[in-house]
Amino acid sequence: MISQAALQTTNRVIAAILGGYAFTWGFSVLGIATMVALGIDFHEAETAISLVAFLVFLGLFLWTFAANSMIRVWLVLAGGAGVMMSVGLMLQNSLLS
Amino acid sequence: MLNSLRMSMGWVHTWMGLVLGFVLMICFFFGALSVFDREIDRWAIPDTRFEPQPMPSFDKVLKPVFEQLQPDPVDMAATERRVVGSLPDPETLKLESLFAYNTHRDPVLLIGGEFAIPNEPIDPADDHQHVHGRATVNPATGELLNDDALKIGSDWFYPMHFSLNLNWMMLGYWIVGLAALVMLAGLVSGVIIHRKIFREFFTFRPWKNLFRSSLDLHNMTGVVALPFHFFFAFTALVIFASNIYLPVTHTTLKPLHEHHEMLEAARTGLPHEPSGVAAPLASVDAMVAEAKRRWAERDMAGDVGFLTINHLGDENAYVSIYRAGSDRVALVGEGIHFDASTGEVIREEPPRSVVSSIDEFLTGLHLQHFEHWMLRWLYVFGGLLGAICIATGFVLFVEKRKARHARNGSQGSRIVDALAVTTVTGMVLAAVGMLVANRLLPADLAGKGQWEQTAFWSVWGLAFLHAALRSSPVAKARHNPAWREQSLLVGLMSLSAVGLNWVTTGDHLIKTVFTDTYWAVAGVDLSLIVTALVAFYAAAKLRAPVAAQQKEQAVSRNKQVNAYD
Repeated sequence: MISQAALQTTNRVIAAILGGYAFTWGFSVLGIATMVALGIDFHEAETAISLVAFLVFLGLFLWTFAANSMIRVWLVLAGGAGVMMSVGLMLQNSLLS
Repeated sequence: MLNSLRMSMGWVHTWMGLVLGFVLMICFFFGALSVFDREIDRWAIPDTRFEPQPMPSFDKVLKPVFEQLQPDPVDMAATERRVVGSLPDPETLKLESLFAYNTHRDPVLLIGGEFAIPNEPIDPADDHQHVHGRATVNPATGELLNDDALKIGSDWFYPMHFSLNLNWMMLGYWIVGLAALVMLAGLVSGVIIHRKIFREFFTFRPWKNLFRSSLDLHNMTGVVALPFHFFFAFTALVIFASNIYLPVTHTTLKPLHEHHEMLEAARTGLPHEPSGVAAPLASVDAMVAEAKRRWAERDMAGDVGFLTINHLGDENAYVSIYRAGSDRVALVGEGIHFDASTGEVIREEPPRSVVSSIDEFLTGLHLQHFEHWMLRWLYVFGGLLGAICIATGFVLFVEKRKARHARNGSQGSRIVDALAVTTVTGMVLAAVGMLVANRLLPADLAGKGQWEQTAFWSVWGLAFLHAALRSSPVAKARHNPAWREQSLLVGLMSLSAVGLNWVTTGDHLIKTVFTDTYWAVAGVDLSLIVTALVAFYAAAKLRAPVAAQQKEQAVSRNKQVNAYD
């Protein structure tokens, strides 16, 4: 029988690693697409985002363990990832059309 | 979680640090060795113990060597699984692009290339398939060096620190990436949980008990090198960001990326695709001379660090020549691109933008191709401080819990202690054991490199078994004698590696330091001797707690006897 505490901890760890990664991915997609839309060179945008992305990930990772509400954590991580990913893809489509 | 910020950060620090700490030990220790990877190569391959040389003439030396270059059989097999049908005979594959690369510490030159294949990829998104080949050349003579000789420094210890040499599904890279993130989290959470960080920085009480002195050492090594640790873990992630850890531009944003590549090709004049029309190659030496002339005009040192030719043999072929990074932090740069068939300059790269300057500075500072020997040694000490920080973390974990675990009958601290022995002294044993195997195995043994790798993993595996078998005292809140025994063995093996180097090559320290100075080999030998001295000192010190333990038990037995009186 798995204890309630163990389940909660597992939830935190998964949210911190996978949720944080998903959010960072969405952040990178939206960040690069936005910068390119603003006229910044593609590789410049890619480099700039790579310098920021892991600091974002680090912040999210620690926040996941410090936060009170896991529902809010998942809303921000998964929701944020989904929204940024979709907007980023829409931007890419409009840039290429 | 756990009610307060400090408690939740304490949880992250303890548990994430423990689980990924075993990986971080490997990263820091083999990272520290990687600073001198080329020198370890010289020690391990005595045939290459000569002075570093500049990039040789392409037309006279390299061109005939590239004609001998063969596709790598391992990459052939890997590529075959990703394409439709079987690949043609490797002898018939045509070299499509090539590179030559060296640094100011390389007596030998690394060359390689990509061979074109006619097969269609199974997954249409998996386009631009080719087979790689690489070889090591003696730049003085142009002869290919024995491929069987494993470059223990640059092809084993170096990749160990970022891939754990676990290449299946890039698993090692991902584990190390997670460990790097946890290192960053460990540093931040460590600062949060230690409120009196400034005072603790100046606190070291080696005379106190093991827990206190380990805690002091943990805090000191963590804080004194905090910027160093943060920097290396962070740049590790940045270096692999676009290709491994966050490949958004190769996946989600691939269409935008390809669009940009096409625009870029049009803007820079560097053709993105071959034209299909064959064309000869003009004198590359003349292009190198022109590149050096242009660098000199900009008042820059003119050594070639990296040379590539794309679309080889095609009308659209171009030669790219980059300056070596000996005199600055960024790796290679100031690229100048030439039309391969006419030898005319197509493009001279403009000065770097602010963003790429920052990026090249940060990644360059991690990869350190510059020429600065003192800084190189500081890197080694920084890496070892990181290893000490993590190793003392293990000791803290065990010392804090083993009394409680002993009362509860838990095996927790025993398991952690055994794994700690394996990743501290066991890891050093594996590395030194590999060097010993390198000197014991005959140079012409077929598959020698494979045997050396087997030796490495076997020594490490045996170290784990020994640590586990000897760890039962920990479950009784006592010390594991494996720490001391493996320290002694590290000392003995390090000294025998130095002795074996002398016997098998004749390069003893009097020769390599004084009469026929060759610092690469002397440095490895001297480092092995220092390792041995530290290991013997540690073994002597580790005798004390065990002796004290026995005395304590004797005293408590006497007390019990007295109590019955």
